[in-house]
Amino acid sequence: MSLEVTRALESLVVEACEKAHPNEACGLLIGSPPGDFDAPGRALVVDEVRPLPNGWDSSAKTNRYLIDPLDLARVETELAASGRGVVGFFHSHPDAPAWPSPFDLMMAWPCVSYWILRVDGGKAADSRSWQRSEDGRSFVEEPIHLEG
Amino acid sequence: MSIDIRLPTALRALADKQATVTVEAKTVGEALDALFARHERLKAQLLGPDGKLRSFVNVYVNEDDARDQQGLATPLKDGDAVLIVPAIAGGAAPAAAAGLTADERRRYNRHLILPEVGIAGQERLKASSVLCVGAGGLGSPLALYLAAAGVGRIGLVDFDAVDESNLQRQILHDTASVGTSKLGSAKKRLLGLNPHITVETHETRLSSANAVALFEKYDVIADGTDNFPTRYLVNDACVLTGKPNAYGSIFRFEGQLSVFAAQDGPCYRCLYPEPPPPGLVPSCAEGGVLGVLPGVIGTMQAVETLKLLLGIGRPLAGRLMLYDALEQSWRTLNIRRNPDCPVCGKNPTIKAPIDYEAFCGLKETPKEKSLIPEMTVEELKAKQDKKEEFVLIDVRERHEYDLARIPGSTLIPLGDLPQRHGEIDKTALVVVHCRSGARSARAVQFLRAQGFDAVNVAGGILAWSERIDPSVPQY
Repeated sequence: MSLEVTRALESLVVEACEKAHPNEACGLLIGSPPGDFDAPGRALVVDEVRPLPNGWDSSAKTNRYLIDPLDLARVETELAASGRGVVGFFHSHPDAPAWPSPFDLMMAWPCVSYWILRVDGGKAADSRSWQRSEDGRSFVEEPIHLEG
Repeated sequence: MSIDIRLPTALRALADKQATVTVEAKTVGEALDALFARHERLKAQLLGPDGKLRSFVNVYVNEDDARDQQGLATPLKDGDAVLIVPAIAGGAAPAAAAGLTADERRRYNRHLILPEVGIAGQERLKASSVLCVGAGGLGSPLALYLAAAGVGRIGLVDFDAVDESNLQRQILHDTASVGTSKLGSAKKRLLGLNPHITVETHETRLSSANAVALFEKYDVIADGTDNFPTRYLVNDACVLTGKPNAYGSIFRFEGQLSVFAAQDGPCYRCLYPEPPPPGLVPSCAEGGVLGVLPGVIGTMQAVETLKLLLGIGRPLAGRLMLYDALEQSWRTLNIRRNPDCPVCGKNPTIKAPIDYEAFCGLKETPKEKSLIPEMTVEELKAKQDKKEEFVLIDVRERHEYDLARIPGSTLIPLGDLPQRHGEIDKTALVVVHCRSGARSARAVQFLRAQGFDAVNVAGGILAWSERIDPSVPQY
């Protein structure tokens, strides 16, 4: 099980997360879904990332994020013909561990990867990726392989 | 009407990888029913326990949100596209207050009627988290009781597979799980016991690099490790993150119990500033352990953990309990915080986890290692076959010797060597072995310092059994 991503894409994600501090950043991870997408332990290759505005209302942007469903729908429609799609999401935890919160678990979907960056005082401090189990009860961490 | 339902990438894998599912339907509700009839796994993700669409699933008809029209009753016409878009949200803040469901109230009834726990206490347990370091002997009763008690989030760190020899005491695992990952087996068992909790598995060796980040995520750490480097690591990371450590350890028929690094309480280093010399204290794998002993100590760790989470009673901080199963007795010693403790004292020198293998003397420098001459089991066998003159010393314990031995060896346990080395012929070549070669390396070092021509058998009796004589049992 792993999330494979180039260093160039990683730096885009880091930049978005650091810039958003003290708010949470969020965005899409795009790639071709593998044949065993739903299997625990599948490898995922990300070939594009798209930071998006945090759509949560201003009362809780520091510890909540929301991706506008219309944004997601538009990107999915745009990618439909290419066989690529939104295979995961990233978001930041400002000054909090890069572990999924119970709220992350409550809202998460299976198959896709959830890449969480811990940002301490505007500096990325930890980076971990997670896949939710199909029964919805837990997250399993997957290694992030950086290439290039 | 023929309607195309378009699925996002995230959900396609649950619908036989189709991006679009075409159904016959007159309304949005009918279209979804037809979709769910065909794809059970999709249904399980999109519908809540009440059989209604989960609140964070959005349904669009062409470009418009069905909620802004007539919801599930929104009429469809031929060629309409229904788009299912999951809302993507999350974030670091915990979910809203963890109330108890009706199921949970029934399950935890015997807690709820305890005034010391009650609904508030049970909700507190539900909102709390514990990291069990090790899913073995101590971790088994500990995690089972925490799960049964309704601790909302239980983390487990381990990297081993279930071995047949674990089952004598590690009741989290069963015969069918031999050879599979301990964490997989533990998670299945815990969720089987209590489906209302979350189990997080960390299949990794706890290390100086990951301990602090991992501990930060939990309220209490419960140390069920079986070796000194990890024990010091758990202690230091607990002090550094301010998390209390519900500590237990076991050996043969004896156990120890305490709560370390609690507010104002001492830590493990205050009690044991230095680890014992390597090889002096055999592990459970070498020295054995009564199977039920971890059951006693791990259960007591669960008691202390629950007290800490609930904030009730008098925590065991500042006290060390010693259990002797053969005497069936408990002794309690008072222990104090050491103001000069290098990690929790007034002027700490340890501000981040250190190299614990080196601290416990388990990492030999190349120079030290080269001073210990070695021979292979094949060389030992050749010497025996040629009937060369030499003395073979076995430095394991008596019960290990009774289990398996190399022919022609004399038993002098490592701990007895300082008193008994006079028994060994100083003019002869002394070949020393143990189980795996670690204890005998210490013995060789000691004997050479006394003027013996001593050589270590690399790999010990395990290598002998593997490569020379498979009839010698491995243990």
